[in-house]
Amino acid sequence: MMRNHLLTLATVGLVTLGLYLLTQMDGTSGLLSALRLIFIWGIAAISLNLINGQLGILSLGHHGFMLVGGYVTALLMLPEKERRPFRTRLLSDWARDNLDLDKWLRGLGLDFIANSIDLKFIIALFIAGLAAALLGVLVGAPSLRLKGDYLAIVTFGFGEIIRLLPNAPEVAAFTNGPLGIKGIPGDAGTIWWTFFAFLFVLWFFTRLKFSSYGRAFEGIREDEIAAEAMGVNLAYHKVLAFTISAFFAGVAGGLYASYLQSVDTQTFNFFVTFFLLVAISLGGLGSITGAVIGTAVVVLVRNYGGFLEQPYPAWVGYLSGALLMLGAFAFSAYIRKTRRLRPVIETKHYIFGAIGLALLLVTVFFRNEPWMTQTVQFFGMRKILLAVILILIMIYRREGVMGRAEFSWKLIFGPREDIPSEEQRKQDAWLSNPELNPGASETKEDDDASA
Amino acid sequence: MTASKLASRSTLFSLFAGLLFVALLGWRIASMPDYTFARIVQDFLNALTLGSLYALIALGYTMVYGIIRLINFAHGEIFMLGSYFAFYAMTLTPMHWGLALLTTVLLGGTVLLVLRSLFNLEEPKRTFLLALLIFGGTFFLLAFRHLGWIEALLLSMLATGVAGVLLEAVAYRPLRGAPRESMLITAIAASFFLQNMGQLLFGPRVRGFNAETVLNQPRSFAIGEETVYFTGILIVVPAVTAVLLFVLNLFVTRTRLGKAMRATAQDAEVAQMMGVNVNQVIALTFFIGSILAAAAGVMYSIRFGQIHPLMGLMPGIKAFTAAVIGGIGSLPGAVLGGLLLGFIEIYVVSFFPTLSAYKDVFAFVLLILILLFRPSGLVGEDLTEKV
Repeated sequence: MMRNHLLTLATVGLVTLGLYLLTQMDGTSGLLSALRLIFIWGIAAISLNLINGQLGILSLGHHGFMLVGGYVTALLMLPEKERRPFRTRLLSDWARDNLDLDKWLRGLGLDFIANSIDLKFIIALFIAGLAAALLGVLVGAPSLRLKGDYLAIVTFGFGEIIRLLPNAPEVAAFTNGPLGIKGIPGDAGTIWWTFFAFLFVLWFFTRLKFSSYGRAFEGIREDEIAAEAMGVNLAYHKVLAFTISAFFAGVAGGLYASYLQSVDTQTFNFFVTFFLLVAISLGGLGSITGAVIGTAVVVLVRNYGGFLEQPYPAWVGYLSGALLMLGAFAFSAYIRKTRRLRPVIETKHYIFGAIGLALLLVTVFFRNEPWMTQTVQFFGMRKILLAVILILIMIYRREGVMGRAEFSWKLIFGPREDIPSEEQRKQDAWLSNPELNPGASETKEDDDASA
Repeated sequence: MTASKLASRSTLFSLFAGLLFVALLGWRIASMPDYTFARIVQDFLNALTLGSLYALIALGYTMVYGIIRLINFAHGEIFMLGSYFAFYAMTLTPMHWGLALLTTVLLGGTVLLVLRSLFNLEEPKRTFLLALLIFGGTFFLLAFRHLGWIEALLLSMLATGVAGVLLEAVAYRPLRGAPRESMLITAIAASFFLQNMGQLLFGPRVRGFNAETVLNQPRSFAIGEETVYFTGILIVVPAVTAVLLFVLNLFVTRTRLGKAMRATAQDAEVAQMMGVNVNQVIALTFFIGSILAAAAGVMYSIRFGQIHPLMGLMPGIKAFTAAVIGGIGSLPGAVLGGLLLGFIEIYVVSFFPTLSAYKDVFAFVLLILILLFRPSGLVGEDLTEKV
């Protein structure tokens, strides 16, 4: 145990050192912003994973929680200078007098906090989390009455209502309507904030997963009635999970608002929940490690997939389409051929291959036509790619990359459990030897059942 | 709970809602002096049109949910595809004969394949006749003349129906028997895929949908001293909807396939044991739902005059709300819910103009309230999960 803790500490130290070196180097700003996004979205994905993976409730309203966190952080952190034109134009009198973190802090005699943007940022994030958590209680309450896809739709509805509200005229007095809030101080959201928040979230959710609460959540996921019979308070645990998840979603929203230095209703639309859903499904519902891996993949596709949307001559599109189709045909044909039972290739696969071949021929023969050489741009290719990834995961590998397993040092340094040890081999040899063990056929089945 | 008790409860509920609505109406009319009878008629026409459109889309949601218990998130995008198909059918015709031939082979071939597998047309003679009809008809429509809205509507309905079947075959069929949450996630992903594919293929900008001038010509009639203004489309939409509903009702109640559909909705496994080809029935359900969505899409575009790749979002969600209001899984419920939602939306905005900014929020609030307090809807069966 001691060794594992030391290893964890050493890893964290090494990563911190690596990050420090990265910040000191030139030309790493793109990588650093990708890392910040991974940390921010990682927090959101881990918190969504608590509801979707561990509690087993499909929640589609996470963008609402993040939006509340983002707006609250933005309003609290907004400096006097940015606030002035904004509030005379739109903010009501009440908001002008009361929604000012600086004023609260100075009123309490805590000037040293008000002077430090970092300490202020912590407080703003905390309040943002609390506001989102309050909402989480509200959204979690329907889960006591509903189940399954109906509940998913209700959470989706809540999320969309929260997203639509800042544009409504009465609420726009506080939120600046569709224009959004700009000029949030960005220096509070350096990579260190997101990094340490991410570390804290990792620690917190790992502890939560292996605590009695985490076991209760997983019990509810497996069988509500059995869990209730075992003494798990369903209402309490469901609402608790929603509250915790919403709190950290709010924190992630605040960090994201500070990363963008602006916030409006389009920042947190349903796409956000969709990306998080892709991330946690890719990594494996219920696994924190998986959520982080999935987030990394999604963010990398979003940040470094720009080449997919560059302008290209049209034949590139035709050619890649043809190659994709032919590749899919070849792959499926290979899989079918190696199958032991019924090694047939279906007609639809041939149709697919034929279309691919036709596209390829068209590309080759008409390569000099004007409609083949004109420049085209594939807008939205990254989103299409993510949607296709999600569909493929759902069809072919529903448990994702990690399943429900977590990363652990034992996985790397511990004894391999998937191959039998020397002792087990000896036992097997003895058990299967009919001379030494005449009743082998009967005992073997018992052995299998107990193993 | 017995059926009669349930029925009496739902009757009471609808009666109560109706009374509340009438009371609200009376109070509001009394307090608004400029709210004349002519304006009520005007609003009625608008509401009937909007409600019919919602009803047509809601039927697709409710049929699919009734058969495979899947909330087909991508149905709004099917609706969008329907209007784009009609748009291209109207703007690209008459085509160059080579292009028309290519389109005919691609479209007609897919339609023929799908129709053959949907309606058990195994006989070679029948298939040949059908092929002749489809290929000849499509080529004739595309190559020689500029298409009017009726031809475009029919062509778009066929093409969209096939698109719906393909969607089911590619995205949902491999997940048969998977947890319902997985199917819902797949449906969301399919919806995103179609939205972004639409932006990629059709271009992200808003386009004008220039339909027949006859439909958009302003007309009017007089009631007393007031005049009611309307356009042809306000009459056409309810009429087309009524015809489609009539045909759908005949199909579901009078044909073998309709019977198979009802049997599958009741219990897919037992239906399979009785010899129903369940996969075929599910594909058929998607076909019919997509046909209705395409009809709604084309008429919606004529009514509002513009189309864009994200146009399916809000109508889709509102139609889903309508299906839930009526009781998801019930065909009359979807029609009732659609009409009700259309009337509520038009009259609420008309009575309380300040609330028009909350129009979309209102649909979601209604959805949540119905799901929370009456998940079986107005006429739906009780769907509480049993142990």
